[in-house]
Amino acid sequence: MNFFDSGYVTMLAQASLLTIQLALSSLVIGLILAIIFTLGEMNKFKWIAWPTTLLVTMFRGLPELLVVLFLYFGSSQLLFYMTGEYIEVSAFTSGSIALGLIFAAYAAQTMRGALKAVPTGQKEAAKALGLGKVRTFIRIILPQATIQAIPGLSNQWLVLLKDTALVSLIGVTDLLKQSQLITAYTHDSFTWYATAAGIYLVITLISRRAISYLNKKLAIPGLGADA
Amino acid sequence: MTHTYFLQLLQGLQTSLILTVVAVIAGCILAILMTMALILKTPILDHLSRGIIILFTGTPLLVQIFLIYYGPGQFDIVKNSTFWYILREPWFCAMLALAINSAAYTTQLFKGTFDSIPSGQWQACRALGMSRRVSLHILLPFAIRRAIPAYSNEVILVFKGTSLASTITIMDVMGYAQRINGQTYDTLVVFSVAGFIYLCVNAILTLLFRYIEKRALAFETQS
Repeated sequence: MNFFDSGYVTMLAQASLLTIQLALSSLVIGLILAIIFTLGEMNKFKWIAWPTTLLVTMFRGLPELLVVLFLYFGSSQLLFYMTGEYIEVSAFTSGSIALGLIFAAYAAQTMRGALKAVPTGQKEAAKALGLGKVRTFIRIILPQATIQAIPGLSNQWLVLLKDTALVSLIGVTDLLKQSQLITAYTHDSFTWYATAAGIYLVITLISRRAISYLNKKLAIPGLGADA
Repeated sequence: MTHTYFLQLLQGLQTSLILTVVAVIAGCILAILMTMALILKTPILDHLSRGIIILFTGTPLLVQIFLIYYGPGQFDIVKNSTFWYILREPWFCAMLALAINSAAYTTQLFKGTFDSIPSGQWQACRALGMSRRVSLHILLPFAIRRAIPAYSNEVILVFKGTSLASTITIMDVMGYAQRINGQTYDTLVVFSVAGFIYLCVNAILTLLFRYIEKRALAFETQS
């Protein structure tokens, strides 16, 4: 038995790519949902703000596995009730949506905190200079809030990356599922699960590097931690 | 119907809770030992703790559970040893994975709180002629108390993590939910009831920790 000649390594490489794709698509869905949640939670109408807060709190309290399974098995049932037809939602799609929802539930909190962290003086100064509301938000508030939000969001990205492993349980051939399949042939469970763990670790470590680089790039000189 | 599901799922709650309690206690003890190793810079243990932290915070919990449960079976030496007796137990493996995983995150937390002890307090201890060991004795209880708010999140994460134990045949709440779902295909109701149970426990945990925080951090709010 040779570790590298077996062809299993290529399979694992492809599965790793799928894991990254899954994480990235969940990130995109999650960011969009997070913006919606943030807008909902900060809405001045109580009847929008309250239910959103409830929803977000609920998603933070539920086990990730439950959300993933609920969405996968539940979505086709729900679509069946609504349309009367059996429509199968692909595991990849429902998995990305589930992971995106979990990401958004935490990210919305970060975004809300970041927006609140921008001093009101900034808004007032912009108003005094005659800037419109939309312009103030886009040019003054948003850039400052983004920098505040980056550490929290990047932490959440690392969590998301690890949560992608759950999607293997609904049949997506990601890194974990692939190593499980290989193990079924070879019975070298330790070798393959350890390899999978190693690949996850490498992806995480590279992400961490990229994040700290990004943080350094975005930091405003003289403001915040490095002041 | 919902009522029967609820009663069936409650059977699993006991398993979930025991698993959480044991994993949290084991994880906390391990975290304290690892933090000590990091603080005192004990030669080999220091690097070991660092390694455990990188390894267990950098990989998914599910992979860790699979690795610990299925992994050792590959080696005949392990299979023939006395450890095999407990290593083949899914409950023990799930507990071990959860405990080490939680210990890795908790150590980071404890180390962070330790590092944020104001240097004035160290200097005060020095001025009173205390050795480093005695100073630790004085300062550590306060540092640990300050870590409680963040630690409560960790306990909730462990409880949520126990749901993964269902993947290695343990019948916790999630295990029962998946079984009933397989039998009835009543997905929306079954998983909603299961979710309700998890939310209730998490709400109770949150309230409990809020109470503990108030008691433990009373010395800070009074001043």
